[in-house]
Amino acid sequence: MISAHCKSILGGVLLAAVLALPVAAPLHADTIESKLDRLGKLKYLKVSDLKAVSSGGLLKIQATFENTDNTTQRLYYRFKWLDKDGFNAWDDEAWKVTELIGYQKQAIQTVAPTPKATDFRIEMQSPEQGLFGGRAIDSKP
Amino acid sequence: MKTMNLMNTTITLLIVGALSTLAGCQTASPNVASSDVASGEVKYGDAKAVENVSNQFGSTDLQSIAETMTRSLLQSGVIVNGNRPRLTVAEVKNKTSEYIDTGSISKSIRSQLLKSGAVRFVANIDEMQTQTDELIRQNQSGLYDKKSTKKLGKMKGADLRLEGEITSIVKKHSGLTDVYYKFSLAMVNIESGELEWADEKEIRKQSRR
Repeated sequence: MISAHCKSILGGVLLAAVLALPVAAPLHADTIESKLDRLGKLKYLKVSDLKAVSSGGLLKIQATFENTDNTTQRLYYRFKWLDKDGFNAWDDEAWKVTELIGYQKQAIQTVAPTPKATDFRIEMQSPEQGLFGGRAIDSKP
Repeated sequence: MKTMNLMNTTITLLIVGALSTLAGCQTASPNVASSDVASGEVKYGDAKAVENVSNQFGSTDLQSIAETMTRSLLQSGVIVNGNRPRLTVAEVKNKTSEYIDTGSISKSIRSQLLKSGAVRFVANIDEMQTQTDELIRQNQSGLYDKKSTKKLGKMKGADLRLEGEITSIVKKHSGLTDVYYKFSLAMVNIESGELEWADEKEIRKQSRR
């Protein structure tokens, strides 16, 4: 977690960066980006594909994580389930950890725990990368 | 001129200070490790964080098993058709070399399934004694108003039974310990004996001394 002190510094830096930009990037409702909550910088890890269908009344998701670097990267992730009004439809899930070897794509599937969940977010974090990127776990796959 | 130089130095120092403070603001990971708590310190942590304290069976393993099994069960044909079948939990055997409270795993699965609203659960073997004691007390002690006593012979039988096991393979070599867990769960139709659903969750943990 980022402390309040760090947040205020970050806020200032981010505000300065936003003011320096000529146009702010628009947010689209149903892009992959709109479904991701990144906690910190993810330099080499991305979601390259995301599918969502309703199956048996439950929202079924398939997300493909991709490591764009040649070193092994570790990813912490979990899903947040939201109801039609945007409220949390379920308790916080446990964090999961997965490792992706160099250039690996890994598809993970999950299903919503309740029919009330009509939307979702993927929270992602890399322990190897803080605000300024960082080291990989291992140089060999 | 001197004032200008002083101002420049002050600004440079401020920028360097801010940058070095920012460099210390690395985003902490949602994990629990022994290095996170200083000697003599007591602190609350995130119950859902990834637990890396040791390679033994831990909270993250329990949570991920319960979650995987629940989500898989919710997609099984028996449950999907919406008739809210009655389930009971039989034994989950611990075939590993370490102590694991398998009842806690099955209770987590039961809680999540119940919360989803897709199934109902009836008393299992462990809970049966408490259930029958209560019925007998209400009906035979003479202490209760007859209108409010719950009748004997009205208990519902389970349609399906959940049973499973957890096994492990531990390998040690040159300071490296590799632990592989496999949790298997199956759902059996009590009337027909048919296996209606089964799934497994595998976990690999490694540590080095």
